[in-house]
Amino acid sequence: MTSTPRAGGRLQDRIVVFFVVLLMAVQLVSFVLIRYAIDQTAQNTLREELRVGARIFQRLLQQNSQRLVESTVVLTSDFGFREAVASRDRPTIISVLTNHSARINATGVALLGLDGIVVTDTLQSANEGKPYPEPGILALAASVGRASAMRLIDGRPFQSVIVPVLAPQPIAWVSMDFLVDEVTARDLKNLSSADVSFVNVSERGIELLVTTLPASRRGDLAPQARVIVGEGLDGTRVAMGGEDYEALATLLEGGRGRGIYTILQRSVEEGLAPYKALEAALFIIAGLSLAVTLVGSIRIAQRITRPVTQLAEAAREVERGNYDVRLDGHGRDEIGALATAFEGMVRGLNERNRMRDVLGKVASSEVVTQLMEGRIELGGAEVEATVMFTDMRNFTTIAESLPPQHSLQLLNRVLTEVSEVIESHGGVVDKYLGDGAMAVFGAPITREGDAQRAVMAALEIQTRVAALGPELAKRGLPGAQLGVGMNTARMIAGTIGSPSRLNYTVLGDGVNLAARLEGLTKRYHVPIVAGSNTRASVSGFVWRELDKVRVRGKTVAERIYEPLGREGEVPAGELARLAQWHAALEAFRSRNWHRTHAYLGVLADHPGYGRIVSIYAGYLRELEARPPGDDWDAAFTLYDK
Amino acid sequence: MTARDTLGNPLEDVVVWAMPKAAAPLRTRPAAVEQRNKTFIPLVSVVQTGTLVHFPNRDEIRHHVYSFSPAKRFEIKLYAGTPVDPIAFDKPGEVVLGCNIHDHMIAYIYVVDSPWFAKTDKDGNARIDGLPAGDYDLNGWHYAQDKSSASIPVGLRADDARSAAFSIGRRPMRPGPVAK
Repeated sequence: MTSTPRAGGRLQDRIVVFFVVLLMAVQLVSFVLIRYAIDQTAQNTLREELRVGARIFQRLLQQNSQRLVESTVVLTSDFGFREAVASRDRPTIISVLTNHSARINATGVALLGLDGIVVTDTLQSANEGKPYPEPGILALAASVGRASAMRLIDGRPFQSVIVPVLAPQPIAWVSMDFLVDEVTARDLKNLSSADVSFVNVSERGIELLVTTLPASRRGDLAPQARVIVGEGLDGTRVAMGGEDYEALATLLEGGRGRGIYTILQRSVEEGLAPYKALEAALFIIAGLSLAVTLVGSIRIAQRITRPVTQLAEAAREVERGNYDVRLDGHGRDEIGALATAFEGMVRGLNERNRMRDVLGKVASSEVVTQLMEGRIELGGAEVEATVMFTDMRNFTTIAESLPPQHSLQLLNRVLTEVSEVIESHGGVVDKYLGDGAMAVFGAPITREGDAQRAVMAALEIQTRVAALGPELAKRGLPGAQLGVGMNTARMIAGTIGSPSRLNYTVLGDGVNLAARLEGLTKRYHVPIVAGSNTRASVSGFVWRELDKVRVRGKTVAERIYEPLGREGEVPAGELARLAQWHAALEAFRSRNWHRTHAYLGVLADHPGYGRIVSIYAGYLRELEARPPGDDWDAAFTLYDK
Repeated sequence: MTARDTLGNPLEDVVVWAMPKAAAPLRTRPAAVEQRNKTFIPLVSVVQTGTLVHFPNRDEIRHHVYSFSPAKRFEIKLYAGTPVDPIAFDKPGEVVLGCNIHDHMIAYIYVVDSPWFAKTDKDGNARIDGLPAGDYDLNGWHYAQDKSSASIPVGLRADDARSAAFSIGRRPMRPGPVAK
């Protein structure tokens, strides 16, 4: 089971989140900027359009008034009209005025004397006989021959035109008034594509005269009109009925913040409509690029993390001991290089592991470990250790009677048992020698109780090998008998050989002695022979001294012993005989041959003493035949191996 | 006599006449205002009351001469050549002539109750000869004057020569149709 990294911690997620968040941030920023630019552009465009609208509007008004002026001029140039006016006959004059003004759809018409006194006025008859109420327009007409202006009559806006009646010199003034109504405003709206309102600004406030705004919006305009008029042609943005409008005002008649203004206004919403489409397109593009980025970054992240995950999985496999890991085909990129290196590493690990396995088989695992950790150096060190040699006493005989395979089976079975016991007691099997093994307790690691454990191992080896008897018999194999020789001494421990091929082992006289002692098990017909150092190094065992031997080339004789078992486990009868035996040895070494004979005679028939008694009987015969000199030390000289 | 405007420039076409305190003799001579090249010639005429004035049309096109002036209202509908009947100017005062089909055409006939009159030339000078000795009011009139000029009283003896100067304020002329 692979351990899943905690959510949010996955590299893949982080890569994807990074790219997506980055893109979203960039998009957000650009969207805000674009939005801002659009707003600005839209407002500017809208305002500019309004200004253009205002110019068009003014031009239209100008043309309109021009047209009215021209019409009026043509009308007043009519000979009959002039003749009628010249007739000074009032009813005739009123009649011709009414008649002719109807020709050009004037709302009202007035005749003024050259002195500016109203002769007759169809709209405001109250003015008759009084000076014309708009002396400014009249003055303009007097100076340039014709005039046109906006003015209010009874709160309604009129375009008033004043021209002279020429005969051919001016004989009177004619004033024609044209009502500016919603129809006029709508015509203007169609041409300037903005809502058109006429307002009158006076000290009493702002009065809405005519507008193309729907009735529902009219109430909203009045409160804003002051601001709009104040901004004039600069334009401003006002909210009306919950909708934003760009609005500007142009002065038609008057001045200094009073007079008749036109307010042009356009809905910002409508002005923004083309940009809304752009915005929608931007949204779609942003969404698409987000989707592409999402998919793309997931794929890129997977391309990175999948091999990494696979590598991690493979590494876990290797950790579990499975070196047979295969990574999918990897590319030439960095991850591919990593995978290749990883595979190389696994191959190397695998090789070394196999080598370690093999090493463990040919050398002790402790030695292998120390070797691998580089703690064992060529040259070695002097250590106090106990060396043990085992030998299958009757193997040659058995091998002769068995097929080679079976004899090897037997040997391996026994050696396995021996190795197990040695290793379980902290010993190291140094090497196998033919049908035997050499083991060391105390090297390469010296520990407390090495000798003690060695003795226990020797005793257990005997027990375990004896216990193999029934199993071997079942397979048609004879029982095995092992001889164990052991000695404790200072010795050289270390790797021996060349740097490319090394052997860890121990060397020294003490080792040689142990090998000799193993050989002595056959002479004394005992399972175990230990040197005196071993005996001295341990406690809690019952020992039988066997003899005193002198190794060739050594002057000092060595006492050799056989461990009989742990104290308290050896039967009392056996202990009594052991005492007799040791008394016999005492007598022998003090040259009391007679007494020695007596002890040997008592012991000769007891199991385990037959062979040793006969050996000592042999000694006695020789000593009695040739009595020893004073330097006799009761030692037996070991000549053979 | 000399006539200048208020800026001191010589004023042409100023009508000057000497109005005797005693009754003036009637010595009318037929006069004419031509229409040539869509223009009245002369621009300003001065006649004694009762004078018959002819309006010969020297153009290829017709003209419709009219006047709505109180001193003489008349019209001669579209005609070519010289109408058989001249128009009698029987009241003193200013008569403005126009042509109904040519708005720019304009002329002035000033009717006076005296046979002694003259017009200033382009230097603003005019001369009246042959006045019998007696008391006169010297008058001046210009078609663009802003108000009537004051009469200048003079007493003339035989073989007397007197000079007088008029200063006449001009009103701005109306911008009117121009000749096409």
